[in-house]
Amino acid sequence: MKGCGKRYTAILCILALCVAALAGCGGAGGEEERIQITIGMWPDESLAKDVALFMQWKEAFEADYPQYEIVGQGYTYNPDTFLAKATSKTLPVIFQTYFTEPQKLIANGFIRDITDQLTELGWYDKMDETMRETVSADGKVYGVPRDGYGLGLFLNLAMLYDVGVIDKAADGTYILYDESGKPLYPTTFDEIYEVSQLIVEGFDGAYGMVILSADKNGGWQFANMAWNFGCEALQVQNSDGTWSANLNDPGAVAALEWIQKMRQEELISPDTSLSYADWYQKIGSGQAAMAFAGSDAITLPVTNFNFNKDDIAFVPMPTGDGQSHDSLFGGTPFVFAENATDEQVKGALLFLKYMGRSPETDETAKEAMRSGYELAQAKGMPILPDIRPWVNEDFKEMSGAMEAEFVNVNLAYYKDFYDTIAERKKGEEPYYCQDMYALLDNALQAVLSDPYTANAESLLITANNQFQSNFMTKVK
Amino acid sequence: MKKIVGVVKKNIGGWLIMLPSVVLFAFFVWIPLIQNVLLSFYDTVGFEKKSFAWFRNYVRVFQDPIFIKALTNTFFYAFWSIIIGFLLPIGIGLLLSELVHGRGMFRIGIYFPSIVSGIAVVIMWSYLFDPNPGAVLNSVLAFFGREPSTFLSNAKITIPLIVLTMTWRGCGSTALIYLSALQSADNALYEAARIDGAKARHRMIYVTLPHLKPTIRMLFILQIISVFQVFYEPLVMTKGGGPNGASVSMLLLSYQYAFSSFDASASAAVGVILSIIIIALTLLYFRFSRSEQD
Repeated sequence: MKGCGKRYTAILCILALCVAALAGCGGAGGEEERIQITIGMWPDESLAKDVALFMQWKEAFEADYPQYEIVGQGYTYNPDTFLAKATSKTLPVIFQTYFTEPQKLIANGFIRDITDQLTELGWYDKMDETMRETVSADGKVYGVPRDGYGLGLFLNLAMLYDVGVIDKAADGTYILYDESGKPLYPTTFDEIYEVSQLIVEGFDGAYGMVILSADKNGGWQFANMAWNFGCEALQVQNSDGTWSANLNDPGAVAALEWIQKMRQEELISPDTSLSYADWYQKIGSGQAAMAFAGSDAITLPVTNFNFNKDDIAFVPMPTGDGQSHDSLFGGTPFVFAENATDEQVKGALLFLKYMGRSPETDETAKEAMRSGYELAQAKGMPILPDIRPWVNEDFKEMSGAMEAEFVNVNLAYYKDFYDTIAERKKGEEPYYCQDMYALLDNALQAVLSDPYTANAESLLITANNQFQSNFMTKVK
Repeated sequence: MKKIVGVVKKNIGGWLIMLPSVVLFAFFVWIPLIQNVLLSFYDTVGFEKKSFAWFRNYVRVFQDPIFIKALTNTFFYAFWSIIIGFLLPIGIGLLLSELVHGRGMFRIGIYFPSIVSGIAVVIMWSYLFDPNPGAVLNSVLAFFGREPSTFLSNAKITIPLIVLTMTWRGCGSTALIYLSALQSADNALYEAARIDGAKARHRMIYVTLPHLKPTIRMLFILQIISVFQVFYEPLVMTKGGGPNGASVSMLLLSYQYAFSSFDASASAAVGVILSIIIIALTLLYFRFSRSEQD
């Protein structure tokens, strides 16, 4: 009888556990009729001002579209967790990803086509064509650019002034041009080499330039360097329609040899693990005077390292062959989970208007854009002109007016970049970019690790062969 | 079937108590393990199986130059872990056992790095190994009039330096195992050896080491198995196995296939190959130890 009692107790315990577990699976019920839109770019709770602004946008949106419910689900895209979230279909309806990721996400079916919704809203043709290409495949669009970026050369003006490269006016502002209007800042790779020599001589423990080499960021920037050394493209289409890798183009070899020379003369760091977070750390802590960066990241040394915003200039990418000043161009995209419904996609797109991130220019859009600028201003952030993801005239006009009101940096330090980006912008290579960048990272690391005996051409031939056999043969 | 039902019925209480553990173990260990093996034989999109691929994924992985590099590197990790990390804990264990005063303090000191989070340890060592001339270890080198080193950015010494980090963290706990083995040695054997005129060297060779032999053997194979699973150290210290793949390991490659390239089938294939190698080494160990016992 005693044993029987124990048995029943055990059975009851197990049943209680099962009931408790099942109870957790219950739905909240109540508001099923409203379409929920989970917003991945919702700010972290610790950013009270940002959260308040998003709440304001949410309330305005839900008042105008009562059929929708906006649910903030702060999600920062991270390759480590993405696959699990995508496979378990728990991604937010809309989320922000790295500019380098859309093609990979499209190829694996993790994000959905939104062409119909864009067309229905009349936004398709308003999107910058180059940016649209970066979020498109087979003629279908899979994302909306948050903003655009172009690669350029970031300069620490204080360091350049200290070594005599640039001058200062009586009012304390820097003079970046000589009397004939010719730039005093480096516009060629040779000039970067010369300025780097001055920096290394003038500052103890500082390097002239930051060259990234890890996490595919090295390859990403190297592609732009190769173009500017005269390489037309790192992937070329043959007459029969097939594609070939062209990583060992003479332009690419010249670019890698330039890096090798910089490393041999200790003008750049020997570190083979520098990725995108490192450029602004090096610049922000005065360990380097120049770096290649995207125009959307110029503020990072200021926000992360209290770098003086008045010491920043952002100028066009230098040339290696005397004529090419191409700037790798793209956009940070908002993308949509594969399992999002048409209604959810439409609602999420409409919500972008309430965030001031759409091509719409009505009062709501205008107020949203203004509130975004006001928040940046209140936080003391440097405000720069945007590279606009939307090209409709009314949007350009509205955005231009906002910039005139809110931009708080000396535009003379950015003029050349913004004046020329439209004609110099160049989209990423078409296929398997991330894998190409990873192979280029390896070549860069080999040169940095072994600068005196590494053979740049042979390293690029190896990378080219691997890229050709592993990836380009898959291109149909 | 009736028999099984009978056995279960007889001990229903015990089975029910065991059930959650069995379910959890199956859910978190056996099912993923079997799924992984299955995944390696399929073409996949994400983690979803699309079509049976026979051994295509294995062929693909073997044809990838980075796999050969990762395989070779993993053996290098094992080699360097034996050179750097195998004898050191034995030596520390012996030294600790000979201490008369402050043994507790030294024991804590030796064990201390093991209680620090592994990621924290590798981040700390990454700072120490910063290749810039003004960084910590390079400043020490400069103080002694030596040229700065590029440390982890020098492909020739990347793996030994990573193993050094692993040893710094792990050798304390291993040394304590040796210490406990040494303390269980029969003092009568040492006294008998002394009476027979054995010197310290002879006592070490003929008493201490034979006594430690089973522990040494067990820890040796455990160390090899653990080093074959080296993963987060190169992931953090060399940002994914650089420079130019010089420190990429099998497990790291498996991770990169899955999470960087979204190629779950290749990742699963690498995992299966790694398991086979570890199982082979373990079997070799069992065979070796059994033949010795015989």
